[in-house]
Amino acid sequence: MAHVKVIRRSMRPEEWTKLRFGWLQRGIYENKAEVTDLTIRDARQISENEYEYPDGGERPLRAGDMYFTPDGTAFIRGHAVIPPEFKGRDVYFSLKTAAEMIVKINGKYVGGIDPNRERILLNPYIDRDDLTIEIEAYNRSKPDDERNDAVMSIRGCRQIFEGAYLCTIRENVQSLVYDCILLLDIANSEYFNEDYRKFLFAELSRALDKVDFDTWAGVDEAAAHIEQTIYANTDFKGSGDVALVGHSHLDIAYYWRRIHAVQKNARTVLIQLRLMDKYPEFRYTHTQAYTYETLEKYYPELFAELKEKIASGQFEPVGAMYIEPDCNVPAAESLIRQFLYGQKYFREKFGKTVDNAWLPDVFGNSWIMPQIMRKSGVDYFVSNKMSTWNDTNRFPHNNFIWKGIDGSTVYACVPPTHFITWNMPSQIQENWEAYQDKEVGGQTLSMYGYGDGGSGVTEEMLEMVRRFPKVSAMPKTEMTGGADFLHKNLKDNKKLAVWDGELYLEMHRGTFTTKSNLKKWNRMLEFKLRDTEMICAFAAAFQGAAYPADEIRDCWKKLLLNQFHDILPGSHIHPVYEDAMADYAEIDRRLDAIWAKGAADTWFNSLPFDRDMLTFIPDEKGPVVRDGVKGFWARPNLPGLASGDVQPLEGKENWLSISPIRSEGDLLIDTPLYRLCLHGDGSISNWWEQDGSRQWVRDDRGFNKLHLWADNPGMYDAWDILPNYRDVEIDLTVTEKVRLTYQDGVSAEFTVDFATEKSAWRMIVRLFRDSRAIEVEHIVDWHEKHRLMKVNFGPNILTRELVCDTSAGFVKRPLTKNTTWEQARFEVCHHKWFDLSETGAGVAVINSGKYGVGIEEGEVSLSLLRSTIRPDITSDMGTHSIKYMIVPHAGDAMQAGINNLAFAYNVPLIKAVPKLPEAWRKTICESGLWLQSVKLSEDGKYLVLRLSEQDGRHALVRFPQGVYDMNMLEDADEETFDAKYVSPFEIITVGYPLKQEEI
Amino acid sequence: MREYIETVLAPRIQGDGGWVEYQSLEGDRLTLVFRGECSKCLILNRCTAWIEQKIKEDKGQTVTVVPVRKKPFFWDRV
Repeated sequence: MAHVKVIRRSMRPEEWTKLRFGWLQRGIYENKAEVTDLTIRDARQISENEYEYPDGGERPLRAGDMYFTPDGTAFIRGHAVIPPEFKGRDVYFSLKTAAEMIVKINGKYVGGIDPNRERILLNPYIDRDDLTIEIEAYNRSKPDDERNDAVMSIRGCRQIFEGAYLCTIRENVQSLVYDCILLLDIANSEYFNEDYRKFLFAELSRALDKVDFDTWAGVDEAAAHIEQTIYANTDFKGSGDVALVGHSHLDIAYYWRRIHAVQKNARTVLIQLRLMDKYPEFRYTHTQAYTYETLEKYYPELFAELKEKIASGQFEPVGAMYIEPDCNVPAAESLIRQFLYGQKYFREKFGKTVDNAWLPDVFGNSWIMPQIMRKSGVDYFVSNKMSTWNDTNRFPHNNFIWKGIDGSTVYACVPPTHFITWNMPSQIQENWEAYQDKEVGGQTLSMYGYGDGGSGVTEEMLEMVRRFPKVSAMPKTEMTGGADFLHKNLKDNKKLAVWDGELYLEMHRGTFTTKSNLKKWNRMLEFKLRDTEMICAFAAAFQGAAYPADEIRDCWKKLLLNQFHDILPGSHIHPVYEDAMADYAEIDRRLDAIWAKGAADTWFNSLPFDRDMLTFIPDEKGPVVRDGVKGFWARPNLPGLASGDVQPLEGKENWLSISPIRSEGDLLIDTPLYRLCLHGDGSISNWWEQDGSRQWVRDDRGFNKLHLWADNPGMYDAWDILPNYRDVEIDLTVTEKVRLTYQDGVSAEFTVDFATEKSAWRMIVRLFRDSRAIEVEHIVDWHEKHRLMKVNFGPNILTRELVCDTSAGFVKRPLTKNTTWEQARFEVCHHKWFDLSETGAGVAVINSGKYGVGIEEGEVSLSLLRSTIRPDITSDMGTHSIKYMIVPHAGDAMQAGINNLAFAYNVPLIKAVPKLPEAWRKTICESGLWLQSVKLSEDGKYLVLRLSEQDGRHALVRFPQGVYDMNMLEDADEETFDAKYVSPFEIITVGYPLKQEEI
Repeated sequence: MREYIETVLAPRIQGDGGWVEYQSLEGDRLTLVFRGECSKCLILNRCTAWIEQKIKEDKGQTVTVVPVRKKPFFWDRV
C-alpha cells in the first residue's frame, strides 16, 4: 500500500492560541484621541545640526498622508489637549511609524518612538493638559536588524502616516500580553524541553479561554491562571547562569551618514533614560566617547540628564575608545589615540577611567591590542564576531584570557550569541547552551537591546527580565552592568584558558581591501599626523614655539572617526565614502597649514635612523613622474631626525641592457646587480644575481603577476572574500606588451598596459641601477563589477611561514593548509610589508596602503582592488594609483632591516628644520626603536615620546635626562629614570617635563 | 532631465542606500534604473510617485516613471 502523508489543514491548538494572542494585543489601547492639529516640514540633513528644506514649507499632516522623502528628516509640530475623560489615568502619546523620532512635549524631551516602540508615557514629564508637540524624525530605509520581520515589512523611504494619538491603555491586558510573549517564545523554541513546551501551550490556551475579547473581562483571571499553573510550576528545571547587559550597538556610519548618527544616538540615550525612570533596576551600557561628545554638543539638556544617570550608576559608559574602530587596518598609534581621546573624555566629563574595550561588531582584532589596552587603563576586552560569525571553525572560548604579541594579557569575553538580541527566553537559553566555558568562566554574557538606531532596550525587554525568575525552565538570570559582569566573572579567574594569538575573524576578509582609496589615505595621514606632531612638539619643547594642540587633536579625532568599523573597512553606502574622502582632504589641508608655518628649505628625516635608502623626492624640475608627481630619486644619507640638503642620485650611462628573448615580448634585462626576465605582462620569470649565486623567483609560478578573479561573495559583498574567488579567472588582455618607457642614469621604467571590457590598467616596473629593489606602480581606471585584482608572488624560497607587519611588530602566519584553522586564513591583514624568507635570504614586499594578503600554495598574493556593489554600487570605481616595492634580501626580514625600509617607503622627507638637542637625537636613534609618536602631553606639561620595538628583540634605551614612565593615557609615574630595558614588541611612553624645575 | 536626476534626486536616494540612474525619456515616459536597496523595495511605487511630483514641481514637466529594477544576484530570492 502506498504511503499517504497526512497533511493537516485544520487549525492546530497552537494556532488557536496564537490567534487569540493577536486579539489580546489589539486590546491594549483603551481610549484613543487622535491628534489632528499637526504640521510637517520635510527636510534633508546636511550636517550634524543643519538642514535644508528642498520640499517646501510646512503642511498639515493627517492620518493617511504620505510623509518622509528619501534620506529624509521631518519636523512635525502640533497641539493637543488631553481629554477630560483621561484625567487621573496614565496618558500616552502614541504614533506607529517606521521612522525614528525624538518627541518633545511642552519643551521637554518625553521620549522616543521608532519601529520598536510606539508610545510614550507623558504623566511624569508634563504639568498641564494642553500640549505643544515637537518631533524631530528621521526615516531610514534600512532597518536596524534584518532579523526582525516586523521591522522589515515597513521599510521604505516614503511612509504612510498612521496618525498620532493621546491614549490610555488597559494595564492588565498589557501585562498579560507580556506574559504571553514570554511563554509563547519558550513554547515555540526548540531550545526548551518538549514536555515543558506542550505544558505551556496547554495552559496558555486555558488561560486565554478565560478572556472575553470583546469586553476584556477575564483578563485578570487569565493572568491568575498563568501565575498559579505556569509560574508556580517548578517541575521543569532549567540550568545556567546568564548575565543580562542592556546595550545598543550604534554604527556611526553604515547605511546612513555620520550626521544621522547624532540623532540616532540622542534618541537611543533618551529612550534609555526614560526606561530608567520607570524601571529603577534597569542598567544600560553605552560605548564610544564620540557619541557622548555629540550628545553634549547638540543635545545639552539630555546630556545633563545623562550625567546624573551615570553618577547614579544606571547608565554606564563602556568601551574606553573614542569610537568602535576597525581593529585590523588602523596602525598602533591610531588605536592608542582611540583610547587616549576616549578615556580623556570619560575622565573629564564623568570622572571615570573605563576599564574595558567594548567592540562587539568589529571584524577581527589585531594581536597588538592587548598591550595597548593594558597601557590605556583597560583590563577587559569584549568583542563578539569571532564567536558567532566564523565561517569555518568554532572559536573555542567565550570567557578567556587574551595574550598579545608582546605577552601582555587582558581578560576577554566574546559572548556565545549575537550582540543584538531582544531578550527573549529562547535567546538566553541559546546563549547558555552555546557557552563553552561553563565550568570555568562563571556567567555567560547576553547583551540585549536593538542596535543602530533601533534604540536599545524596550519596555518589553525589561518586563521579560522581571518575569524570568518565575520560569523554572529558564537559566538563572541577573541584570547587571558591563564592568560588573567582567569584574565578577573574569577578574583574577585563574581557571580561564589563554588564547595567544590574533583574534582572526573567519569572515569579512574583503574589508582589508574594499575601498582602496580610504586605506591609502588613512595610511598616508597616520604618518603625516606623526610628522606634524613631531615637528610641532620639538619646536615647542626645545624652541618655545606655540603648540597647536587643539588643531592637532581635532585632526586626529577626524581621522579616528573615519576608522569606524563600517567606514575604513569600506562596508557602507556611497555618501559615507564621500564624507570620508572630504574629511581626509580636510585633514590634509589642515596639516599642510600647520606645516606651512615652519616650512624650511632643507629636508628633514623624521625617521629615527639614517636614511640612505632609495627615496623619491618631489621636485617640479625632476625627470621622473611617479604617482603623478614629478621628482627625482635620491639616497638622502641624512642621519635620523636631522635635516639637510638632498641631491639627486648620480647617474651612470649604459647600466641597463635589454634584449628581446621570445616572440611573446619577453625582455631579458641586465643591470649591474641582476639579470631579469620580464614577461610581456610585466611578471618576472627569472631573476638572477649577476654572479649567478641566486635565483629569486620560481619559473613555474608567477611573480608580480596580475590575476583578475571573479569575486562573488554573496550578501556580504563589500565585507567578504570567499575561497571561491579562485574558481574563475577572468581574461586580462595585454593591450601593449612590456616595453622600456623611461630610462636615465638612475632608474628605468618598463610599462605594460592591460584592459578588460571596462577597465584600463597600466603597470610600471621600475628598476634601479644601484639597488636590487624593484618598485611597481599600477595606474588604474577601474570599472568592474564583482572582480578582485591580485598580484601574485611565487618566490624561489622554501618556507612555510609568511611574516607580516602589524604596525607594532610582526606576526608569523603558516603558509600550510593542514588544519581547518590554517585553511580559513586564506586572506589575512598585514600592514606595511610581508616577507617570505628561508635561511639566509628572502623576499619582502613593501606597500604604501595595501592590507589584504592571500595565502596560497607556495604563493602569496597582494590584494589590489575589488569592485563590490553592496552597500555601495560604485565601490572602488574610478582611478587608483597603487605602489609597492619588491625587495630581495640576505638574511631574514629583521636582519635585512625590512621594518626600516618599510618606514622609509611610507614616510616622506619633509621640508622642516626642527631643533632637536643632539643628546636627544642620539638617544632616540641609537635605541633601535621606532619613534612612533612625539607630542606634547594633553595637559601640556610634558614632551611625550612613544617608542616601539618592532623587530622582536630586547633593547636598552638611555635618556640624556630624567624622564617619567607613562602609560598611554599620559599618566606619569612619580619617579624619573634615565635608562629603560625594552622587551620585544614593547611600546613605551615616556614624558620629559617641559619645566625642568618641576622634576 | 539626466542632470536633474543625477544631481538632485540621486544623492537623496543614495542617502537611503538606494540608487537611481537615468535611462531614457521618451515622450512623458521617464525610464529610471533602480539599484541597491531600491531594487528590492516593496514600496518603490511610492518613491516613483514622489519623483514624478518633484519633477513636476521643480521642472514643470509631467512624466510617468517607468522603473527598471536591477537586483543583484544575491537578492534573487528576496
